Amino acid sequence: MPREIITLQVGQCGNQIGMEFWKQLCLEHGISKDGILEDFATQGGDRKDVFFYQADDQHYIPRALLMDLEPRVINGIQTGDYRNLFNHENLFMSKEGGGAGNNWASGYHQGKSVEEDLMDMIDREADGSDSLEGFVLCHSIAGGTGSGMGSYLLETLNDRYSKKLVQTYSVFPNQNEISDVVVQPYNSLLTLKRLTLNADCVVVLDNTALNRIAVERLHIANPSVSQTNSLVSTVMSASTTTLRYPGYMNNDLVGLLASLIPTPRCHFLMTGYTPLTVERQANMIRKTTVLDVMRRLLQTKNIMVSSNARTKEASQAKYISILNIIQGEVDPTQVHDSLQRIRERKLVNFIEWGPASIQVALSRKSPYVQTAHRVSGLMLASYTGIRHLFSKCLSQYSLLRKRQAFLDKYRSFPLFDDNDLSEFDESREIIESLVDEYKACESPDYIKWGMEDPDHILTGEGNATGSVDPSLAI
Amino acid sequence: MEQEDSKVLDLVKELVTRLLNSPSNSNPNDNTNTNSTKQSLKYAIRILSSRMTPSIGVDEAAMADSIKRQLATQGKTSDALIFADLYSKFASKSGSGSVNNKWAVLYLLKTIADDRKKGKIGSETRVGNGFLLPNLNVGGKGVIRGFENGGKVGSWDVSRNGERVEKGWDGGVLLVSKDPSNMREMAFREFGNLVKEECEVSEEVLVRDVLYASQGIDGKFVKFDKSVDGYVLAESVRVPRATRIMVRKVCELGWLFRKVKGYVSETVKSLAAEDVGTVGQAFCAALQDELTEYYKLLAVLEAQSMNPIPSVTESVSSGNYLSLRRLSVWFAEPMVKMRLMALLVDNCKVLKGGAMAGAIHMHAQHGDPIVHDFMKRLLRRVCSPLFEMVRTWVLEGELEDIFMEFFVLGQPVKAESLWTEGYQLRSAMLPSFISQSLAHRILRTGKSINFLRVCCKDRSWADAATEAAAVTGTTTRRGGLGYGETDALESLVTEAARRIDKHLMDVVYRQYKFKEHCLAIKRYLLLGQGDFVQYLMDIVGPELSEPANTISSFKLAGLLESAIRSSSAQYDDPDILDRLRVKMMPHNIGDRGWDVFSLEYDARVPLNTLFTESVMTKYLRIFNFLWKLRRVEHALIGVWKTMKPNSIAFTKLPEAVKLQLILASRRCQVLWDEMNHFITNLQYYIMFEVLEVSWSNFSSEMEAAKDLDDLLAAHEKYLHSIVEKSLLGERSQSLYKTLFVLLDLVLRFRSHADRLYEGVNELQARTVESSLPSRDKPNRQSSKKTPVPGSWLGEGRKAITQRAGEFLTHSGQEIDTISKEYSTLFQGFISQLPTSQNSTAVHHNIVSSYKRNSTMKWVQIWLHRVP
Repeated sequence: MPREIITLQVGQCGNQIGMEFWKQLCLEHGISKDGILEDFATQGGDRKDVFFYQADDQHYIPRALLMDLEPRVINGIQTGDYRNLFNHENLFMSKEGGGAGNNWASGYHQGKSVEEDLMDMIDREADGSDSLEGFVLCHSIAGGTGSGMGSYLLETLNDRYSKKLVQTYSVFPNQNEISDVVVQPYNSLLTLKRLTLNADCVVVLDNTALNRIAVERLHIANPSVSQTNSLVSTVMSASTTTLRYPGYMNNDLVGLLASLIPTPRCHFLMTGYTPLTVERQANMIRKTTVLDVMRRLLQTKNIMVSSNARTKEASQAKYISILNIIQGEVDPTQVHDSLQRIRERKLVNFIEWGPASIQVALSRKSPYVQTAHRVSGLMLASYTGIRHLFSKCLSQYSLLRKRQAFLDKYRSFPLFDDNDLSEFDESREIIESLVDEYKACESPDYIKWGMEDPDHILTGEGNATGSVDPSLAI
Repeated sequence: MEQEDSKVLDLVKELVTRLLNSPSNSNPNDNTNTNSTKQSLKYAIRILSSRMTPSIGVDEAAMADSIKRQLATQGKTSDALIFADLYSKFASKSGSGSVNNKWAVLYLLKTIADDRKKGKIGSETRVGNGFLLPNLNVGGKGVIRGFENGGKVGSWDVSRNGERVEKGWDGGVLLVSKDPSNMREMAFREFGNLVKEECEVSEEVLVRDVLYASQGIDGKFVKFDKSVDGYVLAESVRVPRATRIMVRKVCELGWLFRKVKGYVSETVKSLAAEDVGTVGQAFCAALQDELTEYYKLLAVLEAQSMNPIPSVTESVSSGNYLSLRRLSVWFAEPMVKMRLMALLVDNCKVLKGGAMAGAIHMHAQHGDPIVHDFMKRLLRRVCSPLFEMVRTWVLEGELEDIFMEFFVLGQPVKAESLWTEGYQLRSAMLPSFISQSLAHRILRTGKSINFLRVCCKDRSWADAATEAAAVTGTTTRRGGLGYGETDALESLVTEAARRIDKHLMDVVYRQYKFKEHCLAIKRYLLLGQGDFVQYLMDIVGPELSEPANTISSFKLAGLLESAIRSSSAQYDDPDILDRLRVKMMPHNIGDRGWDVFSLEYDARVPLNTLFTESVMTKYLRIFNFLWKLRRVEHALIGVWKTMKPNSIAFTKLPEAVKLQLILASRRCQVLWDEMNHFITNLQYYIMFEVLEVSWSNFSSEMEAAKDLDDLLAAHEKYLHSIVEKSLLGERSQSLYKTLFVLLDLVLRFRSHADRLYEGVNELQARTVESSLPSRDKPNRQSSKKTPVPGSWLGEGRKAITQRAGEFLTHSGQEIDTISKEYSTLFQGFISQLPTSQNSTAVHHNIVSSYKRNSTMKWVQIWLHRVP
């Protein structure tokens, strides 16, 4: 019962970062490109079966489903070094092969139409595991397939596997460069709704921040997609180390996430990683102690979410929870000292309506991957400042919506036929309430938030009779 | 010159002839005369040509003064005056015919006078001055003559002698040379007679008797008198008081001998009864040897005692006879030894073994070199069996101690308690020359060997022992060590201990994988292997919720097995996994499986010496605590799962219900958050501050451990530190209780929260059901238009709202109650924490010098933001 996790890679971006993730996992577990365990990696101790299963010939096969509406990326994988790694039954490519054309509605619709095929694959994978813990979805929120088909998958998974966890690694578009996808704000908004309602945990990977980190921290002038993707794979593999290298605590995904997400709605996590390197880039070796790592993790420049809020608002932002996953040779006795130091320096601003503190998970480092630094750390945090990212999405959407631009593309799909754009409005409403909830978390009165007159509602007889379901009132 | 020499020679010759002839004027025998004259002449010349001088300075006036003073003190003032007058005349004489060597003449006279005075007191001193006396008689002749002449002649002699001297002085020349008469000799003879008169028994007889007595045998006159507890001369025998005292004194030796001999023979007798320890035997043997030496001396003395004692008048050049006085000199040294032996016999009679050696050793601290040497010799013998025992014990682990003499005491015990209880130090048997620490080292070394032999079934320790012996230079054969070589012993012991202990550590670490087992215990019993614990919790959880008496431990064992198989524990050493068992504690009525379930680790021989029952009990307590903590954590995670983000969609609920639901669930969430935060931080504390810190301390101590005792102590400390720090210690009992109440409350919260979300889900399902027609647009529109389904819907909606309201209010109140209770308990727990930590501050100091109030700090961290 290894608490299996099934990875769903959807769309171009999802498959790219997914591929990077699997490469990293293979390296860390000593699994060759063909799925065969390397000779040096035969001693146990790590848990490969969370993410892999063994075929009859002892090959390790990732519990991964690769889905795309256009064949380019998956074909690339099939002809690449890792072509023998995946189960070929787990690859899904649309028969039309035309892709979603960066249209959320198209992706969503196509997803619906191939639901049976997709769910067959998912069910088969789920049946193959003893105690499925949940799903991880890798996608981007701006494109067509990842966002549209991803959204559809989220809804379906939530419906069919309501007891299982659904975690997503969602790549947010780079807002500093002009995208060739003009309908990006629409796509983002519609996907965000599903992420809010149908996912248990969303790890936000902000391309804006990833690019910034690549430029500023890694000194790459024009970071390529593969370079930013390697950052993503680093984060993904680091966030799963405690699952793959069992220790005293945080041995399952639910345990990991539960402490991070005390309020169900606020389940968007931002990440930070240090020290960062890209593909054996000759980086200067830094002194890495637990304290150093923890301090650096709290620095905005290492955080993979761009905070484009104004300073005044940013100073209001508070941490709901922080989990630092520290990897490497760590003296457990240092942990407490470091936490103490950080607390004394008041480096972290926590919420006031509940207890909160930095939690630490120590994890082993893979013995097969050589790194120059002794200690590395990943921070997973629930941070109210993330609402500015959503606000930005909202404002971008509003700009576009005001101009009624590009809506025709969507109207051609069933969800929006008859010029019914309520889906957009509903999404906006939900994102707005999400932003509000995050904002409310910054105040000490969060517990009472939204309950201005609860007693009146509870006792008022007349109110109950005539009340109208808001969802119906639209 | 030649003329003068021959003149002197002539004079001497004449003097000799005269002296020799004068007493025996009556029958001049030419033959004998010439013969004896020649001898005497030779003797006289030898004396004269010798350079013997008295040992006092040449001072004529002082000599005269001393004589004068002596006379004055004796009350003969007139004599003194006369002497002064005579001396002034004598001194003033000079020139030819006068005496050249006036000082020598004076000295001669004084010596003679002194000698005569002493001669009256005792018969002994005359021996010493023989060389100055002009008595040239040889052999026993004089003595016989003295006896023949009888007392009266003697007395006359004395008076005449006195006259003569005075006459001599009168003449102002030395009469001795002129007067050939044997007045002196006669005086001695008379003295001898006097002595003889006083003594009923001759000295020879007495000496012989004393010799007997000193062998513990009654003599003719000297007998053992019980009333005075000693050898005394019988009262009836008339001897001078001095002699009596002398006899008594000399006979002390006999008394001492009797004592020593008595002990030795007694011991030898009881030897057959196997009543005497080897040390006692050695002591006896040593005493016997000393007595043999003493017998040798006695034999010599006895031979000497055959020689007659010369009387005062005789001069014996060889001196090869034995008088009481001589005997007392001879006996001086044996007396000291015998006295010591007797003392030892007295002190050690009741003791045995190491205690005896120790007692003897106490007497060896003596400044007198004779005593010191003697004691050393004795102790060498006495201690050799003891040292032999130490050697065999330290190098072979054998306890050859049938007489219970060794300071290591072995007891037959079970293998697992061999180390702790099998051998003990018997402090009574520990000789004082072996220090306590050395004794402990000795004990431990042998114990290590036995442990290796019995518990570890190890044979290769012998190599280590041989090596140790080779290094210290002593062979492993017997008798290599002795008393006084405590350094050698210590180095042997140290060396042996070092090697044996190292070997033992090797065996414990390598062969029996102590560290691996500790790690396994940490992983399984202390729940370090998270995934394993998780599976176990998952699969035994339902089982353990049943009443304790319905649970089959076989089933649980099967579940344990499958938990191992499905976690990464499966890659562990099968030997280790094989030792992991399910243990069901005795249960009471009403107990659930949770209360009685625990894991057990079978340490087996020899590791059960380290993992003793009490140690395992401690582990069990820690396990129970951690297991409970885990269970609570598991429950909280379970709650989170029911309220996880994508499980609740409030959108389809009526507004009022929705708000109420949000309120209730948010309360629940916030409470959950608080509880979770507490539990998580408690777990962090346990992990980082307690388990890991203790483990890293233990690891380093394990590396440093030189012997099994160190290891035991380190392990004990490790356990103690865990127990104390995880609030399981004595001092934090009440805190622990509060904590348990708190944990139980969390478990109760789980059921409430579950009920709440169950209700919510039901509500949602119904709402969805009721609003199902409105899901797609055409239906929605139609429902608005057609009144019948609308009213039905409306009524259903109303009823649902009503029921939901009641349910949520109720649940909300429940949650509130728990929340209040929780915060009260939590505050109580926190407020208890500092005080109890303060009281264990001392403990903390012992347990870990690492951080004193670590718990406090952690509490502060988790209290962060809690009002």
